[in-house]
Amino acid sequence: MVEIRGLTLVYPGATQPSVRDVSLVVQRGEFLTLLGPSGCGKTSTLRSVAGLETPRAGTIAIAGQTVFDAGGGRMVPTHARDIAMVFQSYAVWPHMSVAQNVAFPLEVAGRPATEVARRVREALERVDLSELAQRSATALSGGQQQRVAIARALVRDAAVMLLDEPLSNLDAKLREQMRVELRQLLKSVGMTAIYVTHDQEEALMLSDRIALMDQGRIVEAGSPRTLYLSPRTTFGATFLGAAEVIAVEGTRPDGRLDTALGPLHAAATDGPAPARLAIRPESIVLHPPRGAAAPNRIAARVVSAVFCGRHQQVQLECAGGRRLTAIADAHRAFAAGDPVDVELPQQRLIPLHEEPR
Amino acid sequence: MTTQRRVPLLSPALLALLVYLVAVPLALLLVASFKPSGLPLDEGWGVGHYLTVYGDPGFWKLLGNTLQFAIGCAVGALALGGGLAWLVERTDLPFKGASRVMIALPMVVPPFLLAMGWVLLASPRTGFLNQIARDAFGLASAPLNVYSMGGMVFVEVLALVPSVYLILSAAFRNMDPALEEAALASGARWPQMVRRIFVPLLAPALLAAAAYLTIVGFLVFDVPGTLGMPVGIFVVSSRIVYLATDQSGGTSAYGQIAAIAVTFLVLLLALAWAYRRLTARASRFVTVTGKGWRPRQLALGAFKPVAVALVLVYFLLAVVAPLGLLLWTSFTPFLAPVSLSMVERMSLAQHVAVWSNPRVGVAAWNSLWVSVVAATVVVAIAFAVAWTVLRTRQPARRTIDVLAFMPLAIPGTMIGMALVYVYLTLSFVPVYGTAWILVIAYVTVYLSFTSRTANATLIQIHPELEEAARTSGAPAATTVRRIVLPLMLPALAGAWVWVVAHVMRELSTALLLQGEDNATLAVQLWSYWAGGEPTKAAAVGVWLVVAMTVVTVLWQWLSNRSHRTVHG
Repeated sequence: MVEIRGLTLVYPGATQPSVRDVSLVVQRGEFLTLLGPSGCGKTSTLRSVAGLETPRAGTIAIAGQTVFDAGGGRMVPTHARDIAMVFQSYAVWPHMSVAQNVAFPLEVAGRPATEVARRVREALERVDLSELAQRSATALSGGQQQRVAIARALVRDAAVMLLDEPLSNLDAKLREQMRVELRQLLKSVGMTAIYVTHDQEEALMLSDRIALMDQGRIVEAGSPRTLYLSPRTTFGATFLGAAEVIAVEGTRPDGRLDTALGPLHAAATDGPAPARLAIRPESIVLHPPRGAAAPNRIAARVVSAVFCGRHQQVQLECAGGRRLTAIADAHRAFAAGDPVDVELPQQRLIPLHEEPR
Repeated sequence: MTTQRRVPLLSPALLALLVYLVAVPLALLLVASFKPSGLPLDEGWGVGHYLTVYGDPGFWKLLGNTLQFAIGCAVGALALGGGLAWLVERTDLPFKGASRVMIALPMVVPPFLLAMGWVLLASPRTGFLNQIARDAFGLASAPLNVYSMGGMVFVEVLALVPSVYLILSAAFRNMDPALEEAALASGARWPQMVRRIFVPLLAPALLAAAAYLTIVGFLVFDVPGTLGMPVGIFVVSSRIVYLATDQSGGTSAYGQIAAIAVTFLVLLLALAWAYRRLTARASRFVTVTGKGWRPRQLALGAFKPVAVALVLVYFLLAVVAPLGLLLWTSFTPFLAPVSLSMVERMSLAQHVAVWSNPRVGVAAWNSLWVSVVAATVVVAIAFAVAWTVLRTRQPARRTIDVLAFMPLAIPGTMIGMALVYVYLTLSFVPVYGTAWILVIAYVTVYLSFTSRTANATLIQIHPELEEAARTSGAPAATTVRRIVLPLMLPALAGAWVWVVAHVMRELSTALLLQGEDNATLAVQLWSYWAGGEPTKAAAVGVWLVVAMTVVTVLWQWLSNRSHRTVHG
């Protein structure tokens, strides 16, 4: 539905490009999330698709129509693109009622009044705002304004909906509730969506596919499950969830990998040995001290244990001085100085390869 | 993030218009100052006018007077206006609502009327206060003389206080008390907190206000024209009016006027540049977080009555006494001391006489349509300026911004003079001597205020509101018409009314560009006054104040509404 090729965007006066050679294909009905830290180029990419920024290089096609082509000098203006957009600030027009806000895209498209009224009614029903249709837009709560913005985008029936951190201005509880609703809503109408966020949990819960961005590039892309359970890059492993990253110093004849924690068994990989290994804190297992006799076990000492309610976070210092953080069951008692055996289970060690820079 | 918008024609056209309105007049003024004949298109070049002007001790006296007046006004207005703002915003002064009104109300009084009121109060010969003093204490000579540098500064300070009050009370209000509380919580004593936190935080706003007031002190004509000109105490604006309207000088004086004007313009533009830098810094310091807070208030204790008295005395001096005497005078047949015997002779005769004079009717009509047309045009241009500067990446936008800001530092008298050159030179544009030249002048004079208002409003409108319209399928023109204009309308309407009010009371430009039948109400009033008919002048003045009050109330109402809409 959306095809981006070799997109590069440089803001006037900037020395570094904000988007570097980004290519991306979004399938019909797919919910794709651009995830990354602030300044990674995710919003710039989205705004380029909307035609709100003029990239320096690349092409963008929406529903088969090329809307931007730097080489061919083609730049379809925003209003002529088959898109709808939801903004971070809601951008609900304060001088119009809820219904007028939602009717606007249809009015400027020149739809007849009866059709406008019907479609506005339907869109407001979808977002559960029917009773507030005549309310002034400014008299609504943040969550309600967000629904107006979503209804206004839905009503256009565009090929793709672009969402720029639409939930980040809501409070935590509402955000969680809207997350579920938003995904259900977009899926129920089969909408293709590109969603921008810096919130990893949001990205994991909402998306069919996540494209992880850093410094203007897509670092890796994949389904939430793949990206979380088996990232290929250090950035992927550490940005999406917490991870302990262990450098690999060499390979032993028996296939074990040499690390600062000693030789470790890792799941076999086809290609060359990984540059690093990563492990999620919740995958680290803590055993009573037995001198670390079994494979992938390391003798360690508890530095501190922080009780978090549903689990506890244990800081460990391994024999070589390396520190690790593990997530342990809340019922176990740990005291600073306690000796423990740390197990890094073979199947949970994620091989990371050098990322191209 | 601003975005590239494709409006290829708007920005060059706007640039051309601003160059025509602001740069061309100034350029012709500059050229004229180097022409022996004093006319921009004539033969020859020379620095003769500068030599004449700088060689004349009168010029250095003029410069000294102007500096003395401007700095005196700035210091006085800052002290009085700042003090009143502090009392209202940061102490437990009682009757705050009434105090705010009493301090802001003098804005509706045109400064030349305030000056005339003070002539009636404190002129050495007939002044009401002087008569009382003479009768009460048997003094041989008048104790007060308003026709003096001291008198000019005093009256101008009274006129400037409302503006200072408005600027500084906003600064006081916007200071987050948490900053002061943090200092106290860090162990600072009150005096240390005031010295190390309060004053440094306020300093940019104070300096900006001081620079602004000094500029205004250079620009104003009303008070020095009314109080200084008759006794030969000149500042630059009154000198220009004097030289330009003094028929005996002929055209030969034009070159000298141009040389004087250019000299002062250089000074003023330097001040304006400083002001721009200072306001940019001041806005960095202002910590508007949008959360409601109550500023820390100092208990006045025993000084409460003194503070209340200060507000009352200001209101008495700036409004009640001068306007009261003006009103009284408008009902009397001739200028006479206030006394019981005169009460019997009071009548509406002057008001009737004034309104049956056809010239007054024409002047009132001129004031009305010139102000309405000029306000409409200048607000439209200001909108285009704000849009171009804030919402496009047009390369010309910085130049446009500066050109629109510059008139802040150009006295109305100089714009008037410059326009004389422009339309004597471009004689094929038949506006010289008509009311249209006033429209052009006022559009230039009020460009700075209106474009800054439009800027301030547009900056508060989140760009995403426009982007949402464009991603909804609306082209640029529809976006402006349906989203941007409706959102800015209350503020633009407020600016429009402000310009109408200021054009209606403007005197110096209208005097300079006076022709056969383009006199405004202010000019008509001035000619009654200068022509020795103060009672008729007073009658016109009363009606002018009535009109100004109506317009100002409208302005207040509109600016309150615009505040609500934008921050809704």
